[in-house]
Amino acid sequence: MAVEYQGGVVIGADSRTTLGAYVANRVTDKLTPLHDKIYCCRSGSAADTQFIAELVRYYLQIVQHNEPPSVQTAAALFHELCYQNKDHLLAGIICAGWDKHNGGTIYTIPLGGSIHRQPFTIGGSGSSFIYGYCDANYRKNMTQEETVEFVKNAVTLAMSRDGSSGGCVRIAIINEDGVKKHFFPGNQLPVFYEGEDTVS
Amino acid sequence: MSILEYNGAAIVAMMGKNCVAIAADKRLGVQLMTVSTNFQKIFPATEKCYIGLAGLATDVQTLTERFRLKINMYKLREEREIEPRTLSHLVSTTLYEKRFSPYFVEPVIAGLDKNNQPFICGMDLIGCRDVPRDFVVSGTASESLLGMCESLWEPDLEPEDLFETISQTVLNAVDRDCLSGWGAVVHVITPERVITRNLKARMD
Amino acid sequence: MRAKAEIPKGGFNFDNYRRNVFLEKQGLGLPKAIKTGTTIIGIHFKDGIILGADTRSTNDTIVANKNCKKIHYLAPNMYCAGAGTAADTEQSNALISSQLELHRLATGRQSRVITAVAMLKQMLFRYQGHVSAALIIGGYDISGPSLYNVHPHGSSDKLPFVAMGSGSLAAMAILESRWTKDLERDDAIELAKDAIEAGIFNDLGSGSNVDINIIEKDKVEILKNYAKPNERAVKEQSYKYKRGATAYLKEYVREFIVTEGDAMDIS
Repeated sequence: MAVEYQGGVVIGADSRTTLGAYVANRVTDKLTPLHDKIYCCRSGSAADTQFIAELVRYYLQIVQHNEPPSVQTAAALFHELCYQNKDHLLAGIICAGWDKHNGGTIYTIPLGGSIHRQPFTIGGSGSSFIYGYCDANYRKNMTQEETVEFVKNAVTLAMSRDGSSGGCVRIAIINEDGVKKHFFPGNQLPVFYEGEDTVS
Repeated sequence: MSILEYNGAAIVAMMGKNCVAIAADKRLGVQLMTVSTNFQKIFPATEKCYIGLAGLATDVQTLTERFRLKINMYKLREEREIEPRTLSHLVSTTLYEKRFSPYFVEPVIAGLDKNNQPFICGMDLIGCRDVPRDFVVSGTASESLLGMCESLWEPDLEPEDLFETISQTVLNAVDRDCLSGWGAVVHVITPERVITRNLKARMD
Repeated sequence: MRAKAEIPKGGFNFDNYRRNVFLEKQGLGLPKAIKTGTTIIGIHFKDGIILGADTRSTNDTIVANKNCKKIHYLAPNMYCAGAGTAADTEQSNALISSQLELHRLATGRQSRVITAVAMLKQMLFRYQGHVSAALIIGGYDISGPSLYNVHPHGSSDKLPFVAMGSGSLAAMAILESRWTKDLERDDAIELAKDAIEAGIFNDLGSGSNVDINIIEKDKVEILKNYAKPNERAVKEQSYKYKRGATAYLKEYVREFIVTEGDAMDIS
């Protein structure tokens, strides 16, 4: 997921990669750097998303401009790749970052390859479990600390209800000053309702 | 029924002391009907190296010609004979080129290299090489061949003992396979000579 | 069709495709290729990487090879353990290995692990999982030791310890319980051996011996058959046939002209 705040964006993700029911990687980094201040969150097929993220990263690195590329450019590249190859890809991408024209910006490119700019967005298999939470708790112009808490809570809630999400929470704060990454292991996450212990 | 079982075959190669042997049955069938009892399945690649091809007969013959071309081209280009190990890679890449539309053959290669070191090699139909130090089998009788090899084979057999071992392996294995048999041929390759013998076998 | 004598340009050839589809429609089943049915692992230790593998290859339920090699050479500082269709793992490795060699000759620099991983994953992605090679790549380059795994569809992970193949669950159980950061070399080898043995004994697709490769700075040690937990018992008697037991109808002898002394080696 990704959320805009006053000075930038906060992106967050769980760390689970699955092969059927087997956890192939429990400490995955799904927050993929594309440029100095542009990241993406990948969901769907690991092979497909790694490949297109690598392509977009390559484009952004080789194209020389007077200024760093905008988040919109990166998102448009994802949109183009995902839309033109939609029959062959299984990729849900959230592209987020900071540029000097628009500040913190978030685009989501869901399965069909459409593109939407949103103040906050969630994606991936676990996202359906937290739409309610996010709609209820999102506020405009949160502070950085509030936003990090919001993202951490939302991802934790998705992880506890969704079998294909889990592990740890990785968060990145992207603003004018650059990127700050945070890592929260599974035992340092907020605890919510986990059911009752019943005596049989 | 698998395509590899359409014509039937039993091929085996064994390592001996400074020698190798390769043997095959002679049947060509169309499923259960025997069409020929004198079908060649082992082909000389060089003086001291032979290729056995088990599987679909049409591909056996197609590949024989392709390998003949490639081996001759190699000889012209390099001005020397191809080594058995090199040949195994040539066969492997030829088969792997058709990874997604394979030839239905499982080759066996046996020979002595330029230092007269024995070399044997088996392959699946897409060219996965298997280079053991004892024996390789291929064809519809491969399971019974494997069983015979595991019990009869022992290290450092002299050419004459290797002949007995490989012959009995083939003859007894094909007795338990309906799709192979009807005569067998054995080549024993030594540094001095190649001995080829047509075995007397059950014709049923 | 291209002229027969031309040297092939590379890439796959689909000439037999229509025929094979026809044969399949006739009710003739397509044969299965040899799989590795494998346990392979890779672990980081204090000053390098250890790769481990079992040595069984299978053709359906038959053991095709009891002592095959699953750890392949990629570059002098880099090795790769492969699981999946045996021909695919072998040929993919050979292809990338030759490209790396040419790259080294062109640049005069040591190969990097990430280069090999990028080349492999891009190739596997192109074939959309049809080339079924699951690989663990370990090496030591300018950025120190590194360990990756690549799945057949072309995704990759960078991890401190990995297991792949049919026995990966058993092996991963051992690694998860015992792996720690900065393991000593001997402890790491022992851990790798135990993880592979877990695969050998608990997964039917894996078996026979344990192969270990240790990759350190400017040093590679290859321990083929480091452990042999499944040695065959000695035969109690010889089943050798007496000479002359086999009847034959005809004999052809082809004598070679054997020359004495060393001929000039032209190969």
